[in-house]
Amino acid sequence: MKPARFEYAAPESLDEALGLLDEGSKALAGGQSLVPLLNFRLARPERLVDLNRIPGCDHVREEGGSLRIGMLARQVQLTELEAWPLLRDAVDHVGHPQTRNRGTVCGSAAHADPAAELPAALLALAARFHVRSASGTRVVAAEDFFVGYLTTVLEPDELLVEIEVPPHPPQWRFVEYARTHGDWAMVGAAVAGDRTALFATGDRPRLTRDLAVVDDPWKRAFLEEALA
Amino acid sequence: MPRREDERVLRGQAQYLDDVHLDGMLHVAFVRSPFPRARIGGIAKPDGVFVLTAADLGPEVRGLPTQTLPGIELADAAHPVLARDEARYVGQAVAAVVAVSRAEAEDAAELVEVDWEPLDAVVDPRAAPEWLYRYSGSGGDVEGGFARAEHTIRQSFSIPRIVTSPIETHGAIAAPRPDGGLTVWASAQGRDRTRDQLRHALGRDDVEVVVPDVGGAFGSKGAIAPEYAATALCAAALGRPVKWTEDRLENFLAAYQGRGLEADVELAVDGEGRFLAIRARLYADAGAYLYPTTPTPGQTTANLLCGCYAIPACAVEVYGARTTKVPVGPSRGAGRPEAALLVEGMVEEAGRQLGRDPVELRRRNFVREFPHRTPLGYVYDSGDFERCLDRALELVRPERSRDGERLVGTGIGCYVERAGGMWETASVAREDGRVVVTAGSSPHGQGHATTFAQIAADELGVPAEQVEVRFEGGGIGTFASRSVAMAGSAVALACRKLLAEGGDSATVRFESDMVFSSGCYAAVVEVERATGRLTILRIAAVDDCGRVVNPLLAEGQVYGGTAYGLGECLVEEARTDEWGNPLATSFASYHLLTAAEIPPVEPAFVETPSPLNPLGAKGIGEGGSIGVLPAIANAVGDACGRKIDPPFGAEKLWEAIR
Repeated sequence: MKPARFEYAAPESLDEALGLLDEGSKALAGGQSLVPLLNFRLARPERLVDLNRIPGCDHVREEGGSLRIGMLARQVQLTELEAWPLLRDAVDHVGHPQTRNRGTVCGSAAHADPAAELPAALLALAARFHVRSASGTRVVAAEDFFVGYLTTVLEPDELLVEIEVPPHPPQWRFVEYARTHGDWAMVGAAVAGDRTALFATGDRPRLTRDLAVVDDPWKRAFLEEALA
Repeated sequence: MPRREDERVLRGQAQYLDDVHLDGMLHVAFVRSPFPRARIGGIAKPDGVFVLTAADLGPEVRGLPTQTLPGIELADAAHPVLARDEARYVGQAVAAVVAVSRAEAEDAAELVEVDWEPLDAVVDPRAAPEWLYRYSGSGGDVEGGFARAEHTIRQSFSIPRIVTSPIETHGAIAAPRPDGGLTVWASAQGRDRTRDQLRHALGRDDVEVVVPDVGGAFGSKGAIAPEYAATALCAAALGRPVKWTEDRLENFLAAYQGRGLEADVELAVDGEGRFLAIRARLYADAGAYLYPTTPTPGQTTANLLCGCYAIPACAVEVYGARTTKVPVGPSRGAGRPEAALLVEGMVEEAGRQLGRDPVELRRRNFVREFPHRTPLGYVYDSGDFERCLDRALELVRPERSRDGERLVGTGIGCYVERAGGMWETASVAREDGRVVVTAGSSPHGQGHATTFAQIAADELGVPAEQVEVRFEGGGIGTFASRSVAMAGSAVALACRKLLAEGGDSATVRFESDMVFSSGCYAAVVEVERATGRLTILRIAAVDDCGRVVNPLLAEGQVYGGTAYGLGECLVEEARTDEWGNPLATSFASYHLLTAAEIPPVEPAFVETPSPLNPLGAKGIGEGGSIGVLPAIANAVGDACGRKIDPPFGAEKLWEAIR
């Protein structure tokens, strides 16, 4: 379980990092998903672009009523967010304290595991994903960001640099079933106001309140009970 | 008395296998079979890399030893060091590749080209055409018992395989000595058995073994991994030290697993609820090859089939099926949890089918006189099974309700286990006002140093702080909950000899028949009707390990064993797909419990001293892992109204009750 050979780059600015990203590159933030994939040799990038030395992007702060989460903000930084309790509840189910200290929020979103909690919570909260490349910037709505199994709209030369979360609605819920605490969900849902995002029910988090879309009868039964 | 081992471990001062570095040391990685079964047409080695294959091995290299026990028939299927013409499980080592670092060895291993010809896998132990071992035992008038029976209760059970998962995986470093011999540092459950197994596998007598600190084994390091032998062969061929540290993927794929048993059981019951006879056919999913201990769990299951009950007749056959999966061997409990699940499951089934209270059925049939010889020849040395049951019921506060949103049930798991046996050595010496105890059996987390120091201090009337404990081999090892009863007794007798003879030192070899620990676990569980979600409300853990030497360590074993057993109740299951490909290959696909899943456990002890050793001690290392499995299984069965096989995930329970 040692990674195959790769070139390692540790840029000290965002522009430098963006200049290094291409087809053969992978961006390294917290490494909690990427490093195991490297060690299993399931991921074999030619070059690893380590973002950790880039200053000024590890923030989680409120700005004009919205929450801004920088690309190096660790998952642990969500654990005491009074004003965004859905994110707080969701992150409590993400791994363990050790992994939350390293894993980043943006990394979890960009990895797009269909059983992951944070993408579903961000989808329910109608987050906006700020994406940059050497050639420009774009903002992607949560509905458009996740496109399939471990797949987002991000191009190989793009970085998710910030997530913007609008004000939190007063009603929210987070439910999930996992075999053990901190393990991947077998099924779950994040609810913010009238938006419900189901996860671990398909190839990506899904914004729907119609449980008929859930094929697995036990998962459907779980969600019916949990969301009743 | 608190554990004296912990500070060193907690400060990171322990020296595990991977912490050992030798000058000039190289590293080995293995090319492994990606197929459950495949013929090997040929192996092309890359240039400039040291690669060892079966074709390079001399005729003296024999593979792992096998071990015959009375009544067991073995196939000629010892685990080879490296696969020669055929690989028989995913992960089986086919070639060893050596480089200056592990990463480079893995890179080079990718360049080895194996010409594979995939063959059909054998997945189902019931349908396996070949066997690795067979065992049968019978005693008493079984036919007569069933002929006289008012009722015959039949049930089948399935116990999945588990991955033993010690925190420290396997590992070995082999180094040539100036005298031409080999020294092997090995993560193992004892020095001498490891040395003897390596000598057999390599076909040479000049192999010595050093066991550094060991970070857990749970039965999985009682037999050497074939990779230990391959590492030694690489070191011998290259004339340099070579290290292999098993990584977690290798541990999932290629380390021997535990459990894996299918069973058809019949119980003959008379009109008063007395058990007249029990018979069973067991299909052990034994895997592809024999380790020396592969038959142990199946045979132990068979021999403990009468459990705590005075059943006058018993017949059991074990079919150790040869499947194309990684082999099976002991894993904490090693046949005892399986036996307890089967016999306690049959008692519950009898209760359900006959409309009788299973607690009363137990009382009616308990063994009450000791020593008690079972129909298969085990001799229970002492016990008070009813007192254990009463205490467990008192602690667990039984409940049952099948109305409403939550199904609540109570389950009992009485058990009796074989522990100890064979022999151990110890010596005690007075040196400069201190007492030095040297024990033959070394620890891998149990707390031997604390316990042996306490025993010596008690015997000699000195403070425990004055007693130093050393481990220098010369015993059999640490397994089968044997260390207090065997090595502890050797320590006690060595102290007594020292006092009686008045010299500076005394050495004792203590030999004894097996002792039989027992106990009763009870659990109250709740199943959410809408989702099948299981919540364990409480567990009572009552163990009789004879005289308790150190209550703190004994309780620690109960908590640890219970947590271990709960894993297989709730989440642990090493499955393959229908083609024999393993589905459990990392902790993402195979789950271990965390502290968050462990429910409240109330431990209690009943003490019926063993007459077979000077301490009156038995064993406590496995009780939790044995008793909790039938207790939870029966509680789930009570809540859901029928027998369900472990593990008890929400989806399975929901299917069962919908």
